[in-house]
Amino acid sequence: MPQFESHFFSSLIFWEIVSFGILLWVLYKYAFPPILETLDLRERKIRESLEQAERHRIEAERRMQEYETKLTAASREAEAVLTQAKERAQRLLDENEQRLLAEADRVKADATREIDQERRKAIQEIRSQATDLALLVAEKVIERSLTDADHRRLADEALAAVAKNYGA
Amino acid sequence: MENPLHPFELHNYIPLSLFGIDISLNKAVFLMWLIIAMVAGLLITAGSSRRLVPTKLQSLAELLVDFIRGMILDTMGKDGLKFFPFIATLFLFILFSNLLGLIPGSYTVTSQIIVTAVFAITVYAMSLVVGFVRHGVKFFGILVPPGTPAWLLPLMMPIELISQLARPISLAVRLFANMTAGHVILGVLFGLAIAGGALIGWLPFAFTIAMNALEVGIAFIQAYIFTVLTCVYLGDAITLHGHGDAHAHS
Repeated sequence: MPQFESHFFSSLIFWEIVSFGILLWVLYKYAFPPILETLDLRERKIRESLEQAERHRIEAERRMQEYETKLTAASREAEAVLTQAKERAQRLLDENEQRLLAEADRVKADATREIDQERRKAIQEIRSQATDLALLVAEKVIERSLTDADHRRLADEALAAVAKNYGA
Repeated sequence: MENPLHPFELHNYIPLSLFGIDISLNKAVFLMWLIIAMVAGLLITAGSSRRLVPTKLQSLAELLVDFIRGMILDTMGKDGLKFFPFIATLFLFILFSNLLGLIPGSYTVTSQIIVTAVFAITVYAMSLVVGFVRHGVKFFGILVPPGTPAWLLPLMMPIELISQLARPISLAVRLFANMTAGHVILGVLFGLAIAGGALIGWLPFAFTIAMNALEVGIAFIQAYIFTVLTCVYLGDAITLHGHGDAHAHS
């Protein structure tokens, strides 16, 4: 076999050691460090990104919970405010109604009283006028000697006057 | 018919010598230069982009680096990572040598027994050095498998010694034999294709296509096996029978 021709051995051994040594040195010096560095960098970056994502997720969950709590509190508060407002409106309405009714009652009572007063005053006036008239008639009767017919006429006149004033 | 061993022949193109040692340039030497140029070019280009979202070449280089790092972590544990440059370079050198050898007219550097032997002996010597540096005399304990009864020791130690010495030989021969055999088969099939002519020659020719595809797979597998065994041998030296943390998870 040609591979066992020993006169090539020294050259092959020498060049193999030299080539391998050069390759090892070049790769060790220039190729492996950047590749390993990039790999480490990527590994670190991925781990950091994952950790950050996890942190963000937890933070988001916490905030969500916080917002939910706040939302529940706000809706409860809104409900309370609404109920309060309704109650107050109802109370105001009731109060107004009562006040108006009372006012109306008072106005009515006032009017009735006034009417009564006026009527009493009118009756009083009529009475006093009728008395005056009667006195006048009596005066006239006494002044003149009157006939029977005169009496009657005068009486009728007086009564008619009274009726006229009183009959209304 | 063409000699199927013809592709393995070397011819000195430029005679050179250093301190009386013949270091003449031949096809295999040129291929080694091509290998280091390609590997260094590819990896330096890939490494220079340094992007967080990688380019295609960068992805490939990172995949490779991650693959070799994973292999080291699996067999040697975290302590093995300081061998990463050596193991990665070994893998790339062998892989490119296997693959470039498949190009017609080129030369398979790893089909030379002396080339694979140099790698295997280097790896084995390294494992011995690492073992003795880490464990001192206790490293001889590698000859005693865990749980061996005392009376079996005289039998076990020679067996283990042989298995240890077989490591560099099997490492060297496996790669050399696989690369050689593949090319010999291809050579034979091509010879048959030409000899068979148009009438029957298409059959061996079709086989050469299938064989070539298989050879690409073998190029990867053999580079992987060589590297993984390197990791195992160095790992054994680090942990002594895998007593340490390295094999705790495997």
